[in-house]
Amino acid sequence: MRRSDSCSVTSGQMSRKRALIADTFCLKRRRCTADAVPGDTHDGAADIRSSLQNLMTLFSRKLFNDSLPPVALKHQLYSLHSDKTSVDKQVSELRANGELLMFQLGFDSEAFALVFAEDYRAKVLQGEAGRETLGTVEKFLAKLIPGCSDLSFNKEKMLKEFLFTDSEITQLVKSGVLTVRDAGSWWLSIPNSGKFIKYFIKGRKAVLGMVKKSKYGEILKTELEERRTTSQVKFQMKYHIHDIVGAELVECIQTTSGTLLRYVDGNIN
Amino acid sequence: MLSFLYARQSGLDDPVRLRRAESTRRVLSLELNHNRDVDRVHGNGINTLDIEVIDGRYMLSGGSDGVIVIYDMENNSKKLKYSCKVVCTVGRSSRHVHKFSVETVQWYPHDTGMFVSSSFDKTMKVWDTETLKPAEEFQFDGNVYCHHMSPIARKHSLVAVGTKDPKVQLCDLKSGSRIHILQGHRGEILSVRWSPRYEHILATASTDSRVLIWDVRRASGSLFTLDQHNGDKSKASSEAVNTAHNGRANGLCFTADGLHLLTTGTDDRMRLWNSATGENTLVNYGKVVNESRKGLKFTVSRGCSPEFVFVPCGTSVAVYGLHSGELITMLRGHYNNVDCCEFHPDYQELYSGGKDCNILAWVPVLRQPDIEDEKTNSKRGGTQAAVNPAFEDAWSSDED
Repeated sequence: MRRSDSCSVTSGQMSRKRALIADTFCLKRRRCTADAVPGDTHDGAADIRSSLQNLMTLFSRKLFNDSLPPVALKHQLYSLHSDKTSVDKQVSELRANGELLMFQLGFDSEAFALVFAEDYRAKVLQGEAGRETLGTVEKFLAKLIPGCSDLSFNKEKMLKEFLFTDSEITQLVKSGVLTVRDAGSWWLSIPNSGKFIKYFIKGRKAVLGMVKKSKYGEILKTELEERRTTSQVKFQMKYHIHDIVGAELVECIQTTSGTLLRYVDGNIN
Repeated sequence: MLSFLYARQSGLDDPVRLRRAESTRRVLSLELNHNRDVDRVHGNGINTLDIEVIDGRYMLSGGSDGVIVIYDMENNSKKLKYSCKVVCTVGRSSRHVHKFSVETVQWYPHDTGMFVSSSFDKTMKVWDTETLKPAEEFQFDGNVYCHHMSPIARKHSLVAVGTKDPKVQLCDLKSGSRIHILQGHRGEILSVRWSPRYEHILATASTDSRVLIWDVRRASGSLFTLDQHNGDKSKASSEAVNTAHNGRANGLCFTADGLHLLTTGTDDRMRLWNSATGENTLVNYGKVVNESRKGLKFTVSRGCSPEFVFVPCGTSVAVYGLHSGELITMLRGHYNNVDCCEFHPDYQELYSGGKDCNILAWVPVLRQPDIEDEKTNSKRGGTQAAVNPAFEDAWSSDED
């Protein structure tokens, strides 16, 4: 059985390959790009920030009665930008600056939620207004927002570094800012985020089911965006599409009619 | 291309630079070729391939039926169409053949007179290539998943063996002893690899999600363990602290200079580590599908810049840029799962073997004459020879 030359290399990949070849052989082009590099990193961080802001606009606020800050997931950025390593780098830069906060959501070890720091502080204080835990929460936020970029805290850190007492830690857990991780350590969390996670997982399953049930298990991205959302899907369709593309739960194929999403077998979600 | 040649000739450029640029171009144009084939001998899937280091001429393959085959890859026939011939095999009829599937084969690093194979029949055999009889046989208590001999060792001739037992065993080829064991893992050892830079450094990957780096001269435990969070204990759940992967760690590969180590795990991730400090370089390759219950055999290119990683992913081989993490292409051609792949550094060819019992040779496409004239190439499909429009016959009529 003769195997013919594989025509598996699509035109998009060929042009990417040609671009790579041309770079190594073209000295002039390399000198020009070398000049452009110093300016790039600054623009890169602003780029991620604007993508995050776009994603935040897709988040449905009134679904949660305005009690949650807009949340985006880190892997949603991978569907907007092709270079995953630079996305990771820029996100950690923003976290180090204190502009962005990252949370471990708990349903997937690789799924991280991102919230802008000012939004988080505003919503948490809004939720705490009038309760007796307000003072402790304010103290915690003051410690957290400028400097700390941890996802979880253990007892030693809370007692020694942050100088909280045991009862204050209990108050923080009650207010929802900390969630129990195991004996003596806590995850940083978003208050009232339980509903968000529940709707998110349900919606993700429903959207993946839509892709799977389509003919041949694949659907054009534009067609999926126009489909009517079922009652299971509470968020906007685009929000879920960025999620499943970024988490590589569907394969993204460039075709002449646009981007095609093909269901990948072996998914649990 | 001519500017590179001139720069090399006049001393403006390092001689290596042209070689690297051309090797990179060749790797980027890997494709299946009509003219290159490998004889099909295995009746069951192919688990492992190894190309000898000295000449790059002979290739070993081990299959799920216990058969070991040696191929000659050199083309002496003066014809373009060439099929890699089988030189000899250790077939089912041989008295010494392995009873169950052969998991790893490796040529002796210094000459082709000897090769070592290990199998699920709990033995590791050291074969004499001339007579195809085992010169030495090591028995183990559990299935042998992998073994490796150091490619640069001068002071020792140890073979590191990974079995179902959490202890890594070191067998000495000179004396036949196997009393040296490395303790530290808590699960089956799926992959072992010696460093190509230092002859005493060994890396092992296990089902307990950890990858340990050892110096075999040291009496007490491992040097360090690879931690995917780089010591940031807050990121992971408490059980996942100090692990290299969130699932079983089942593939290891050092880069050619030995400075970096790649590991793959069943959490569908591939990670690049600095092999001296054990730091995770955090290059994000995305989802590298990995469902292997045994070790995964993948390989890195040599002599290119930037380097490429070839990983078997399902029925195709994925090619990633080593330091950028981007997916360059998927090499599709196998009919079933791909189990192993091996890179030939002299010709920039990739050989891959899988469950469909085929070994496919991915050969760089020959350079096209008009690289600048991209428009005409794309119109004609790129693979046929493009005729310069100046020489095209546009005036004679068809009736004559």
